[in-house]
Amino acid sequence: MVISAEILQATLEHFFLAYTALLAGIIVAVPLVLLSLYSERLASLVMKFSNLVQAVPSFAVVAVVVPLIGIGFTPAVIAIMLRVLLPIVKNTYIGLFNVDPALIDSAKGIGLTEFQIIRNVRLPNAYPAIFAGVKFAAILANSIAVLTALIGGGGLGSMIFEGLTNFNTAKILAGTLPVIAIALFLDFSFSVLEHRLTPEYLKNET
Amino acid sequence: MKFKKLFNRIESIKLESVTKSYGDRFAVRDLDLEVRGGELMILIGRSGSGKTTTLRMINRLIEPDSGRVSINGANVEDFDPVRLRRSIGYVIQNIGLLPHLNVSGNIGLILKLEGWDQAKIRERVSELLNFVSLPPKSFMDRYPHQLSGGQQQRIGLARALAMDPPLLLMDEPFGALDPLLRTQLQDEFCKIKKELGKTIVFVTHDINEAFKLGDRVAIMDNASLVQVGTPEELIFEPSNELVSEIVDSKRKYRHMEALKVRDMMQSLDSGYFLEGNMPAEIALRKMVDAGLEVAFVFKESGTVGKIPLNEVLKAGNTGKSLNDISKSLLVFPADASLFEALTQLKEEGESMALVLGGEMPVGLLFSDRVLQGLV
Amino acid sequence: MWNGGCLSEIPIINDVLTEVQRVWDTQLLSLRTLEHLYMFTIALFVSILIGIAVGVLIYRSPKLADPVLNGLNVVETIPDVALLVLLLPIFGIGAGPTVAASILYSILPITRNTYTGLANVPREYVEIAEALGLNPGEVLMRVRFPLALPLIAGGIRIAVVFTMGVVTLGGLIAAGGLGAALQNGIQLYDMGTILVTGAWVGLLAVILDGGAGVIENRLKVRYGTWS
Ligand SMILES: Nc1ncnc2c1ncn2[C@@H]1O[C@H](COP(=O)(O)OP(=O)(O)OP(=O)(O)O)[C@@H](O)[C@H]1O
Ligand SMILES: [Mg+2]
Repeated sequence: MVISAEILQATLEHFFLAYTALLAGIIVAVPLVLLSLYSERLASLVMKFSNLVQAVPSFAVVAVVVPLIGIGFTPAVIAIMLRVLLPIVKNTYIGLFNVDPALIDSAKGIGLTEFQIIRNVRLPNAYPAIFAGVKFAAILANSIAVLTALIGGGGLGSMIFEGLTNFNTAKILAGTLPVIAIALFLDFSFSVLEHRLTPEYLKNET
Repeated sequence: MKFKKLFNRIESIKLESVTKSYGDRFAVRDLDLEVRGGELMILIGRSGSGKTTTLRMINRLIEPDSGRVSINGANVEDFDPVRLRRSIGYVIQNIGLLPHLNVSGNIGLILKLEGWDQAKIRERVSELLNFVSLPPKSFMDRYPHQLSGGQQQRIGLARALAMDPPLLLMDEPFGALDPLLRTQLQDEFCKIKKELGKTIVFVTHDINEAFKLGDRVAIMDNASLVQVGTPEELIFEPSNELVSEIVDSKRKYRHMEALKVRDMMQSLDSGYFLEGNMPAEIALRKMVDAGLEVAFVFKESGTVGKIPLNEVLKAGNTGKSLNDISKSLLVFPADASLFEALTQLKEEGESMALVLGGEMPVGLLFSDRVLQGLV
Repeated sequence: MWNGGCLSEIPIINDVLTEVQRVWDTQLLSLRTLEHLYMFTIALFVSILIGIAVGVLIYRSPKLADPVLNGLNVVETIPDVALLVLLLPIFGIGAGPTVAASILYSILPITRNTYTGLANVPREYVEIAEALGLNPGEVLMRVRFPLALPLIAGGIRIAVVFTMGVVTLGGLIAAGGLGAALQNGIQLYDMGTILVTGAWVGLLAVILDGGAGVIENRLKVRYGTWS
C-alpha cells in the first residue's frame, strides 16, 4: 500500500516534469522556426546546430546543466527541454521547407502574401512532420525525465536510482515498469492520433 | 568459362500466337512474327501498343499467357532464363546503366560473374569501348552520372555486346536523346550493324529511324501486329489506313503520282558509255582507269545494255566484245511517272534503270536511293 | 603539453587548462575514454552485423517485416535507463548490459534502413540487371545491396549516436567509460569534472557522428544525384 502510494506520487511528478519540459520545448521551438523561415542563413544555422547537438549523449547534456544552472526541478526541466527542442525544431523545419517549389510559386501567382503562404500552404504541408517531431519529443521527454532524477528532478527516476544503490529490486521495478508503461502508452496513443488527424489526401502517401 | 552460349547463331526467332494480358487488357494479342537470322527487325507503333512486351517475351523478362516463343526452333521456356539472357544482349532507353558501377564495372559485370579474370575483362572492355568510339583510357573509370546521354547510350550498347551475343534486343535505345545526337548515333549504328552481323530486334517510335536502320519493319497497334514488311512494301502497299498514317505515305507520297522519273534520277556522265564492239580486255583498262564500276553500251537493236565491272573481268582474254556480255537494262523516259517506274523495277527484281531524255541517256534511277530521298 | 605555447600566458586560459589537467588525471579520463570506445566499438560492430542481417532477412521474407520492425520500435520507445535496468538480471552489472542495451537500440535504425534501402531500389535497375542475366542472388548482392548502401550508412550513423548515448549511461551501472566520470562529478558535486567530462563526451560524440556523416555523404556522392 505504502509502495503504491509512493509509485503514484512519483508517477505524477514524472509526468509533470516531463510535460512541463515538453510544453516549454514547443513554446520555444515555434518562434525559433518561424524566425528561420524569414532567413535562409538562420535556418541552415539552426539545422546544423540541431544535428550537432543531437549527437551529444543525453547523460552529458543532463550532467552539464548542473554546473551551469544547478540542481532541482527547474534545471531538470531545462535539461529535458534542451533535448526535446531539437527534434521538434528539426522536424517542423523539414516540414515547412520540403514543399514543392511549384506549389509555392503558384500560391504567389494567385496573390498570396508571404504570411498567407506560410499559413495556408507550408503549415498544412508540414503538419505530419511536426506531428512526428512532437511524438518523438514526447517519448524522449519521458526517457530523459528518468535521467534527471540524478540532478534532483525527482519522480520515477529517483525510485530507480534509489533501488539501484540499495539493491532493492522491488523499488527498481516500481520505478521502471511505470516508465515503460508510459512510453508504450504514448507511442500507442500518438499513433492513433496520427491516424485520426492525418488528412485523407496525405494518407496513402506514406 | 563456366558458361556456354545457348546459341552461337540465330537461324530464326518465332513468335506463334503469343498473347499476354494484364487484367482484362491485352498487352499483346495473338501475335505471329518471324525474325530471320541476321536481319534487323523493327517493332514500331503507338505508345502502349505492346512493343516492349513483345520484345521482353523473347528473353523471358515477360512470360506469355499463351502461345510459343522459340529461338532456332527451341521453345525459350526450355532454357534457363539466366542463361538465356546472358546469350542475348539487351539495351534500353535512358537509365540502363547501374549507377554504383563505373563504366568498366557496368560493361564487365556479366564477364565478372562468368568468372573472367581481371586482365581479360579489362581487355574486353577496352575493345568494346573502342568499338563504340569512346577512348577507353578516359572512360573506363567514370561513373554513369559523369557521362552525357549519348555516352551512356554507347556504354549501354557496349555492355550488351560484352558476351558477344548473336541476338540483340534494343528498346528505343536512342529514344531519350536530342535529335542531333540521335541522328549521329543512328549513323554510327548503321555502320557497326554490318560489322556486328547480329540478329537485332529494335523497338522505336520514330519511322525515320525505322526506315534508316531496319531490314524489315513490323507495325503494331492495339496489342496486335498490323503489317510486317520491308520499308518499300510498307510505303507502296500499306495494308490499311493506320500503316499509311505511320509510314506517313499520305503526306509524303501524296505527290508520288505527280513525280516524274527525272525528279529522282542521278545524272549520268557520257564517260559511262563505251563502244559495243570494244573487246573486253580494252574495256577493262578503260573502266579501271576511269574508276567505273559499271558501263553502258548502245546495242544495235536500239536498246541499252549494262556491263558491270566484274563481268568484264570474267570475260578477260576470251576475245568477247562488250555487246556479247552486256545485260539488258530497263529504260524509262525522263518524263515517265516515277511511281510506275518503281513498280516496274520491283516487278523485274531490278534495282537500277537508265533514264532517257529524248534519244539521249541522261541519268540513272536507283530504287533504294529514291526511297531514301523520299523518307 | 598544457604548459607550452603563448595561450597559457593568458590567466583564464591557464586556469582552464590547469582544471582540465586536474580532472583528466583524477578521473583517469584516458582510461575511461579507452573503456568507452571499447564498449562503443563492440556494440556498434555487433549492431551492424545483426542489423544488416535482420534487414536482409525481412527483405527476403516480407511477412516478417512488419512484426520485426514493430517489435524493434517498441524496444526503441522504452527509456534507455529502463532498458539498462531490465537487462541487469540477465547480464549482471557493468559492460554486459550496457553493450546489450546499445545493440538492442541500434539494431532498429540499421535494420529499418537496410530493409527500406533494399526494397526501394528503383525497379529499372533491377529490371536491367535481370535482363543482363543476373540471378536473384546476384541481383541482391550486386545491385540492391550496393544501391542501398548510402541508406544503410545513414542507419549506421543513427546507430553511432544511439550507441554513444547508451554507452555513456553505462557509467550508472558500473560499466566504466566516460559516464562513470560524469556520475562521479555529479555525486561529488564537482563542477570541473562535470564540465570537462561532459565537453569531452560531447566532442567525441560529435566527431564520431561527423565521421559517419562523411562516409555516408561519400557514398551518396559516388552514386551521383540519386539518393
Ligand atoms: N506490368 C504491367 N502491368 C499492367 N499493364 C501493363 C504492364 N506492362 C505493360 N502494361 C500495359 O500493356 C500495354 C502494352 O505495354 P508495352 O509496354 O508493351 O507498350 P509499348 O508499345 O512498349 O509502349 P511505349 O511505346 O510507351 O513504350 C500498355 O497498355 C501497358 O499499359
Ligand atoms: Mg515500350
